[in-house]
Amino acid sequence: MRELARHPTGLVGATLLAIVLVAVLFGPLIAPYDPQQFHPAERLRGPSAEHWLGTDQFGRDILSRILHGARATIMFGLGATFAGVAAGTLIGVAAGVAGRWIDSAIMRLLDGLLAVPDLLFTLLIVTVLGGGTGHAMLAVAVAFTPGMARIARAAVLSVRTREFVQAAQARGESPVYVIGAEVLPNTMGPVIVEATIRVSFAIMLGATLGFLGLGAQPPSTEWGLMIAEARQFMFRNPWCVAAPGVAIAVAALGFNLFGDALRDILDPRGRQR
Amino acid sequence: MSDAAASVLEVRDYSLAYRTGDGPVQALSRVDFSIARGRTLGLVGESGSGKSSIAWAILRYLPANAVEGGGRILLSGEDLRAKTRQQVADIRGRRIGIVFQDPSTSLNPTLMLGRQIAEVLIRHRGLTEKQAFAEGEALLARTGIARPAEMMRRYPHQASGGEKQRVVIATAFACNPECIVFDEPTTALDIVTARQIQDLFVRLQEDTGVAALYISHDLALVSRIAHDVAVIHRGAIVESGPAARIFGAPREEYTRMLIAAVPRPDRRLVDSHPPDGAQRLLGLEALTVRYGERSLLSRMLGRAQEQVVGARDIGFSVRKGEILGIVGESGSGKSTIARAIAGLNDFSGRLTLGDRSFSGRGALDRAYRRAAQIVFQNPDASLNPRQRVREILSRPLKLYGIARGRAEIDRRVGELLSQVLLPPEFARRYPHQLSGGEKQRVAIARAFAAEPRLVLCDEITSSLDVSVQASIARLLVDLQARTGATCLFITHDLNLVRQLAHTIAVMYRGDLVDLFPVGAADAPDRHPYTRTLLDAVPVAVGSAA
Repeated sequence: MRELARHPTGLVGATLLAIVLVAVLFGPLIAPYDPQQFHPAERLRGPSAEHWLGTDQFGRDILSRILHGARATIMFGLGATFAGVAAGTLIGVAAGVAGRWIDSAIMRLLDGLLAVPDLLFTLLIVTVLGGGTGHAMLAVAVAFTPGMARIARAAVLSVRTREFVQAAQARGESPVYVIGAEVLPNTMGPVIVEATIRVSFAIMLGATLGFLGLGAQPPSTEWGLMIAEARQFMFRNPWCVAAPGVAIAVAALGFNLFGDALRDILDPRGRQR
Repeated sequence: MSDAAASVLEVRDYSLAYRTGDGPVQALSRVDFSIARGRTLGLVGESGSGKSSIAWAILRYLPANAVEGGGRILLSGEDLRAKTRQQVADIRGRRIGIVFQDPSTSLNPTLMLGRQIAEVLIRHRGLTEKQAFAEGEALLARTGIARPAEMMRRYPHQASGGEKQRVVIATAFACNPECIVFDEPTTALDIVTARQIQDLFVRLQEDTGVAALYISHDLALVSRIAHDVAVIHRGAIVESGPAARIFGAPREEYTRMLIAAVPRPDRRLVDSHPPDGAQRLLGLEALTVRYGERSLLSRMLGRAQEQVVGARDIGFSVRKGEILGIVGESGSGKSTIARAIAGLNDFSGRLTLGDRSFSGRGALDRAYRRAAQIVFQNPDASLNPRQRVREILSRPLKLYGIARGRAEIDRRVGELLSQVLLPPEFARRYPHQLSGGEKQRVAIARAFAAEPRLVLCDEITSSLDVSVQASIARLLVDLQARTGATCLFITHDLNLVRQLAHTIAVMYRGDLVDLFPVGAADAPDRHPYTRTLLDAVPVAVGSAA
């Protein structure tokens, strides 16, 4: 924490994340209106005293919809990332520990998958499985797995040759102890940092899928979906597209800056004073 | 030396601090010395003493967080601190040269060696491309490179460490500078190569009359090549004067301590004789270690096996309670042997410990591993950074069932810490809260926690400062005598090994070339390579302390 205070961009990231967190936790409580309530008389209004961010094509209050949508959007990002990181780390650690031909086989397969862009990959999976939040989340998680596996494996390989691991092997420790107590705790730093940064990608991917109609479905409230729904009215009221767009940007930037700061703080070379 | 007019480099009353997150840290306080033409000043200090900061300050290459205090740095009477960036760039390389520790990092790997010398000549002496290459060849020839024209066309990775350092030295001398700073120029090199580079330095320095600042942690080395010596401790010069006087009659307590810590073969740390009539504990027969396994792909393609032999047909035996020193340059296979005995390398041949015999790594069981413990070179890497000292030391106790239950383990950890002269509170600390010497004590305690019959020490003192080195060596000898364990002490430091080993094994390129009792080191029937090694090592002059 003290280290974070000395890191200006990290502080900015943490602040943005705090704002997003407030929306996630208390959004529905502080939202001034019901996000699903139609007000046909007040369609596509600009910002005003009653509606701070204006209203959309059905006269729904945009601020309320953003506050309500935070939960779905952020949960999507965290959930997809967590699943992808867990699967990727498991595979990467297995490859790094096993070595030899198992490692080669796994890594060549992952190299092939890495060659496919994330968005294309998720689109492919969602197209095969069908849309919806659950499938979109799964798709993002699968798309993240190869990259995370690579990072986890690299971390394992660099730790595995360190002398304290060799000391444990020379003592005759069981492989389970060597991996669980000596290798794994020292590989988690880069994995955690990468995961934090990837949350922002996941949020953007989720929003993109929502925008394409392949993620969250109406009438649920999700930022990407909000942009998609309001797309045709963009020129009559820019606010109904800009507001959720900014919300996505704030969340993504927050996670991204925070992740960068975390990398600097956890890296022992950066800590030498 | 005191005549200011004649001195080429003068540092007067110079102070330097670094801004850090925890406030300013004083790096140099009121440093004062001067070097006259044709003289070499040896600047000696331990790590963190500020000796490299002096080099950076003279070269005007200080990091952004450096805050300079008072004082002047004069090159032939001109204050370098008053120079503009442009003027400094013009002086560097032309009037002041620098030779860094590691030639593999100070040369650009993507440029031919000839290009890197020629660049300096074109930049500072205004030679044409053609003249510069011809001159570069002449310079290389002067540093004793056999085929300079060929060397000019090579890239750094195609040259050996010694050749690269010769190129760096040739570059430093290229513009006939008034002063050259040598920052640990032979520390990264092998003993024999280092000796050649030192001889080259002495010859070139005498030929050119350059004023040299020779920075080193190695007192024995400095005593051999420097005219004057300045001892630096915590950013301040403790004592300075002619080399013979400093080493012969040091006035300051710190200098005396430093000189006393230098290993001297004639000052033994152990009884000269291994226990009489002791049985054989460890035996090696035709032990061979090969490195490199073929990958799946190359096996499928039927590519020829590319294996490197780390150690070839090694055979020796060590008696109970004996200390066997294994010496050799890097890549000689001395660590390979230790790692094979520790069960970290696959091997073929036969390995005997006590009355049990093993013919491969797979046969080494936990009982064997308990009996044979290893201590590594670098304590930063050999202790898990995420475990407290208590956890590190209790692991072998639990693994081998030496102590059970919380209270008993705690008691045993306390005993182990006191055996290595560390306070019991250290059990709660993490490795990064300890100094290098303290970490190595913990690593030694971990090895002795298993109550081993054989302790393998792989360069355990080489990453430590001279004074710490001496205390670690003494500690090890003491523990060894108390527990009666047999010890394999692997090192490149011949003076140290002659202080504490009963028997010395010499390895060269994977072969055991010589094996003799320590007293017979100077016997005429030594292997020629042993002779070369012994001759290459500087022994401290003077008889102080």
